[in-house]
Amino acid sequence: MKTDPDVIVIGAGGGGPVIAKELGEMGIQVLVLEAGPWYGNKNWPEPNEYRGKAKESSDPMDLDGALYRKHLTRLENDMNDLITGKLRWGPADRRKSPWFRNIPDRAVLWQSAGIGGTTLHYYSNSPRAFPEAIDNKWPISYNELIPYYEKVEATLPVEFAPTTTKEALFYYGAERAGFKQNRTLDVTSIGYRPQPNAILPPNENLMSPDYSMEEISHMEGCTLSGHCGQGCPYGPSYEKMAKRSTNVSYVPLAMKTGNVSFRPNTFVTKVLTEYDAVGNLQTSGVQIRDTWTGETEELFAKVVVMAAGCIETPRLWLNSGLPDNPWVGRGLTNHYMNSVTGTFDEETLLNIVGSSATNPFIGHTSAARLDYPGLGMIETLGESPGLSAQTLFGFSQYGYNRLDSNDYDLWEQRGRLTGAELENAMENYGRTLTLLIVTGDEVDYRNRVELDPHIKDEHGQVARVHYIPTQTSKKRREKLTQTATNILRQAGAKRVHNSDQPPNYYIHLQSTMRMGFVVNTNCEAYQVKRLFIGDNSVDYNSLGGPNPTITTQALATRTAKLLAEKYF
Amino acid sequence: MQVHDYVTDGLNRYITIQQQLYQHSVPLAYPTAIMLDAAATQLVNSHQVQSLPQALSAGGGMFSRLSREDRLQTLYTLENLGIDLYLLPPPFQNNGGMVKHVIDALNRFSMFGYYSEWPGYGSSRLHPPNDRRLEFFPPGWQQAGYPGVSLGYRDFRGFLFTMAEVRI
Repeated sequence: MKTDPDVIVIGAGGGGPVIAKELGEMGIQVLVLEAGPWYGNKNWPEPNEYRGKAKESSDPMDLDGALYRKHLTRLENDMNDLITGKLRWGPADRRKSPWFRNIPDRAVLWQSAGIGGTTLHYYSNSPRAFPEAIDNKWPISYNELIPYYEKVEATLPVEFAPTTTKEALFYYGAERAGFKQNRTLDVTSIGYRPQPNAILPPNENLMSPDYSMEEISHMEGCTLSGHCGQGCPYGPSYEKMAKRSTNVSYVPLAMKTGNVSFRPNTFVTKVLTEYDAVGNLQTSGVQIRDTWTGETEELFAKVVVMAAGCIETPRLWLNSGLPDNPWVGRGLTNHYMNSVTGTFDEETLLNIVGSSATNPFIGHTSAARLDYPGLGMIETLGESPGLSAQTLFGFSQYGYNRLDSNDYDLWEQRGRLTGAELENAMENYGRTLTLLIVTGDEVDYRNRVELDPHIKDEHGQVARVHYIPTQTSKKRREKLTQTATNILRQAGAKRVHNSDQPPNYYIHLQSTMRMGFVVNTNCEAYQVKRLFIGDNSVDYNSLGGPNPTITTQALATRTAKLLAEKYF
Repeated sequence: MQVHDYVTDGLNRYITIQQQLYQHSVPLAYPTAIMLDAAATQLVNSHQVQSLPQALSAGGGMFSRLSREDRLQTLYTLENLGIDLYLLPPPFQNNGGMVKHVIDALNRFSMFGYYSEWPGYGSSRLHPPNDRRLEFFPPGWQQAGYPGVSLGYRDFRGFLFTMAEVRI
C-alpha cells in the first residue's frame, strides 16, 4: 500500500529540489510535484510526445545522460522558443499552447516548466547577495546566510568562471575604466570579477589536440560550448553534466537518499487546508491535475512547500482561497534590466585579445561581472544569434532607431533595429561584446502578481503581472547603462548600441511573498501552519542586484533544516 | 525565408484559455492583420502617412500599401496607443496592454524566426515541433557567422582566480 509522503514540494525548479534533498537526507519522505516534463529520465524516453508509463521516478538508475543529450538539442528555436520550445512555460505536449500569463505590455516573461525549472535555461550565475542589501533590511542577517551559501556552493558546486576571449576583453575594459579586481564572494565594494558559476571547470584536456571534441564532451567539465541557455548536456553522465541545473545536481542527490520521489507533468491547482484541534488553519495537502490526461487527484502530507516561483506561488495562494494578506503577490522586483552591445574592429581585437573576433557564443554565456553595490551589477552576455537579435535589437521601450531623433550622444544606436541596420548589426555579431545591466530594484507595493479577473486556463484564474520601476530604480539603471557603455568604449568598441529594453523583461523575479509580510523568518506562512515557501518570492528585496538563484537555494537549505526541526 | 509564416504560426498558437468545457484557442494572426490595416487607415486619413497606389502584396490591405518607413511609423504609433482603440478588432479593441504586447511580439518573433534555426527546418518548418527536421544550415546563422550547435571550443585562457584562492 502506498503511504502519504511527509512533505509535498510544489515545483522542481531552483528551490524545490534543494529542500527535497536536504529533507531526504534527514530521513523525511518527500514527493516533489512538477508541472513540466522530465528530460533525461528513462521513464519518459520521448517526454514531449508520450506521457510515459510511470507517474513518478525515485530511482537514480532512471537518469540517463545519453537520453538527456538527445532531448536537449542545443538548437535555440527548438529549446528556447517562448511558444513551442522545450524549455517554455507550458505543458510537455508541444502541440498545445504555452500556459498564458497576462503581461499587458511590451513584455517577455522567462518561466520554464520541467524538472529543473528555470535552472534548465539559466546561466548558472551564483553570486551571493550584497551584504548591504540584507543587513538591517531583511529580518535575518547576512551572517546567518553564509553557512548555507557555503553548503550550496560546495554541493552544486560553484567555481569562478574561466576566461575566454570575451571575458578577457571585458576585464581589459573594466580595468581601463578604473575598476579594481574584486577577489571575494562577499561583495562590499565596487569591482569586477569572474562570475561565480554553478558550472564545472573545463576538463584539463580541453586544449589538448590528442582528444577530439566529441571525446571531451563526454568527459567531466565545461567544454565552453556556449549552450548554457539551451541546457547543457555535456558530461560523462546525467549527474555530472557541466552546467549544474538542479535537475542534474540536487535532483539526483535527492533520489539517492531513497526518500524522495519526483512526479513531472503534474500541475498543482490548489493547496488544501484544515483546522487543527485548537482552531488554527493548517495545510493538509494539494489538489493536482495531470497535464496529459486532465485527471485530478488529492494528495495529502504533513507539510507543504510552495516552490513554484514568483508568479505561480502567489497565483496558487490566491486560487486556493488561502487567507487574505495584503502582501500576497505584492512588492514584485525585477532587476529592471537593459543591455548595451559594443562592436569592435578586427585590428583593435587583435591588439587587445590577440584574436580577430570575440565570438560571443564561446564560453559560459555569462562569465564576468562588475559588482556595483548601491546600483546593481553589470555582466557579460553571449547568447546565440536568434536570442541575441530578439532581445538586443528587437525589444525596446524606445521604439525604432530609424525613426528616432538622435537626442543622445552616448550611443551610435538606440532601440529596435530594422532593415539594413539590423543586417549590419548581425553581420558583426562575431565581433561584439554585450553587457547586461541588472539593477538593484526597489520594492514597490504597486508592482504585483494578481489574478486576472476575466481569464482562466485549465488550472484556474491566470496570473496578471504589473511592474513599473520606481524613480530610484530608473536612475540606478541609467547610471549602470552609462558605466557599461564606458567599459565598452574603454575596451575599444567602435560603435555602441543601447537596447533600452522595456521594464517588463521578466527574468529575475523576486519578492512577491516577502519574508516578514507573508512568511516568517523560517519561511513558514504566517496565516497557514505547515505551509512553507521555497522560491525567490520570499526574498525581502532584490538583493541589491545579484542573480537570485543561489540565495534562494541557501534559504531553501535553511528552510529544510528549520522545517524538520519544527515538525519532524 | 517565409518568416511571416513563423510569426503567423506563433500568434495563432500563443493563447489558449478555458471556457466551460473547452480549452479555447484564441488565434491572434487574423485580428492582428486587421489591426494593422485599421491603424494604417487611420494614419492615412489623418495624413500622417501616405498610401501607395497599389498594395505590395496581392490581396493586402492598407498596411501593405505603405512604404517601409510608414509601416514602421504605424507600428510605433500603435504601440504608443496613438490611434482610436475603439476601431480595432477584438481582442485589441480598447485593450491597450494587448496592443502593446502583440506589436512588440511582432518585432521579437520576426527576429527570432529569422536568426534562429527555424528557416533551416525547410519543408518541415510548419510541422508540430517534434516533427521538424533541419534540412539545411540556417541562413540567419550563416549571416551572423554562428557555427551552429557545438560540442565545445578550445578557447580556455585560464582563470582570473579560483574559489580555493578566495576561500583562504
